[in-house]
Amino acid sequence: MSTPEPSPTGAPAAPPSSDAERPPAQLELADVVKRYPGAAEATIDGLSLVVPAGEILVLVGPSGCGKTTAMRMVNRMIEPTSGRILIDGRPNTDRPAADLRREIGYVIQQTGLFPHRTIAENVATVPRLLGWPRARIDARTTELLELVGLDPELAGRYPAQLSGGQRQRVGVARALAVDPPLMLMDEPFGAIDPITRERLQNEFLRLQGTVRRTIVFVTHDIDEAIKMGDRIAVMRPGGHLAQYATPAELLLSPADEFVEQFVGADRALKRLALARVRDLALEPVVRVRYGDPVGWVREQLQASDGPVVPYPLVVDADGRPLAWLDEDDLRGERVADGVGSVVATVERDDVLRDAFSDVLAHRVQYAAVVDGAGAVIGVLSSDAVARELAPGPAPARPLDAPAGPGAAA
Amino acid sequence: MSGPLPPLAQAGEGFVRDRDAGSGASCVADDGVCPGWIVDHLDRYADPLARHVLLTVVAIAIGFAISFSLGLLAHRRRWLVAPIVQVTGILYTIPSLALFFLLLPITGRGFLTAEIALVSYTLLIIFRNVVTGLDGVPPDVVDAARGMGLDERQVLWQVQIPLALPEIAAGLRIAATTTVGLASLAFFAGAGGLGDPIYADPNFKSNVLVAGGLCVLLAIVLDLAILGAQRLLTPWTRRAVAG
Repeated sequence: MSTPEPSPTGAPAAPPSSDAERPPAQLELADVVKRYPGAAEATIDGLSLVVPAGEILVLVGPSGCGKTTAMRMVNRMIEPTSGRILIDGRPNTDRPAADLRREIGYVIQQTGLFPHRTIAENVATVPRLLGWPRARIDARTTELLELVGLDPELAGRYPAQLSGGQRQRVGVARALAVDPPLMLMDEPFGAIDPITRERLQNEFLRLQGTVRRTIVFVTHDIDEAIKMGDRIAVMRPGGHLAQYATPAELLLSPADEFVEQFVGADRALKRLALARVRDLALEPVVRVRYGDPVGWVREQLQASDGPVVPYPLVVDADGRPLAWLDEDDLRGERVADGVGSVVATVERDDVLRDAFSDVLAHRVQYAAVVDGAGAVIGVLSSDAVARELAPGPAPARPLDAPAGPGAAA
Repeated sequence: MSGPLPPLAQAGEGFVRDRDAGSGASCVADDGVCPGWIVDHLDRYADPLARHVLLTVVAIAIGFAISFSLGLLAHRRRWLVAPIVQVTGILYTIPSLALFFLLLPITGRGFLTAEIALVSYTLLIIFRNVVTGLDGVPPDVVDAARGMGLDERQVLWQVQIPLALPEIAAGLRIAATTTVGLASLAFFAGAGGLGDPIYADPNFKSNVLVAGGLCVLLAIVLDLAILGAQRLLTPWTRRAVAG
């Protein structure tokens, strides 16, 4: 589970527009097979999985693994050869396909925005199909544009007048229009430059924290899968499900060689993308001010019990980090103004991967962890990160004689 | 039809051939371009012009109705495209005069004969543009439309046809211009039009200039009218594209 960031300044929780608010749906695929006539191999071969309501399922795999086919069978853009697809326990074949699709959000890579309709008209597509009254459509459109971070001024523009990132946001807003219990997203950020993609991913996760839809998300990018997914279904060519697991499980224990290869040799590092600084135990640090007596600083370093960061940290009056001091800086009577080396500063909510990268980029391999106000609350060390990556609980005393499994009991 | 064929064209029927030279008689006698005469006799061309407009507009309207229907049909059933292009291509190739002759025993002289020929010439142009236009609709847009729950009729009328409009309008413009030109031959089928005055006195430069000029003017006006209608119907094609 990705944890939604607590962001009081972020998008305001969408005020439930009366009857629009609907609970997310559970999705179940039961032994779904798709075989095209004349094809030697099935495109989807007996796919079964359950996506709990409100979670993001990522279908990931190399090209030709059937991930898009699997997604398109949910809203019957492709009809399965056999098997059942249940939405909240209800087969998706129990009503006309067009009716079903109006209940399922649909986002595709090329956005598929209607070039001949304005942004507002695009967003209003499904509400109009469902015959919502004009006033309700207008209110919902404005609400949605704000929700996906678009200036309502853009409502009257045409898609060609927007940037790629803006168009993709409109695509998401359009898919969310009737608050569908289920959403399908086919490589929604695939055609976007890396910087914008990263931002859209983050925004989307934050949005998902607010709207909590059940989402089927297709990508070929394992990093995106790990970032976006509550659960990941790794597909193998031939339409087989290679592994269905949470991102952490997938990285920690790939089911077989295929998954291991697909996940990549750097899977230990990838796990860093799943954790945040606050998930690790922070280390205590000796805080000093410029002008403190050097003798007192040395005393503090020795006096603290337990492991402590070997460098004193200079802070300002508000507790904000200024510099690390080393032996060379602790000369003379008092700590001289402006001495010391640069401090890497990370926040509690930072993704561990980014924080670790920051630590590695500095001479002192410790980062000051600060709270919202910028005051130091502890220190993140590269050792702590390494411990986080090692599988299983770390042995307390690595050099102890091995104890038999029953010895402790 | 029995009996001898009526003559194909009776030159200048219904058109006042009398040059009625008042002022500038020498210019008129020399078959020259005589501004005075032109100004005095412009009203003579009103009826042929109205007739020419009618011939053209009716041909375009009927041609569009047929081609558009065929285009929609062929868009669904792709195998129809080749035979339709072949048949309309053959119609397009028959010289219009020959077609008038061929039709005379069946439909006789008059408006109907002219229209059949004129409509035949529009079919290939409009049909091909309708099909090209529908084919040119981006597949992701159609996919998204279906995926959001538009049924096939809604996809066609709300997405595919609007997006094919610029291409369809381009076909209509070519067809309109071509038809204005061909309609000046309609007089051979006894259907009137601006061909009437031209053939009534083909040596008189003033006459040919006015009648021919009106043809050109009509072609331009129709072209601009269709272009204007297209611009009105497809506002999204006019907006500047943002970076």
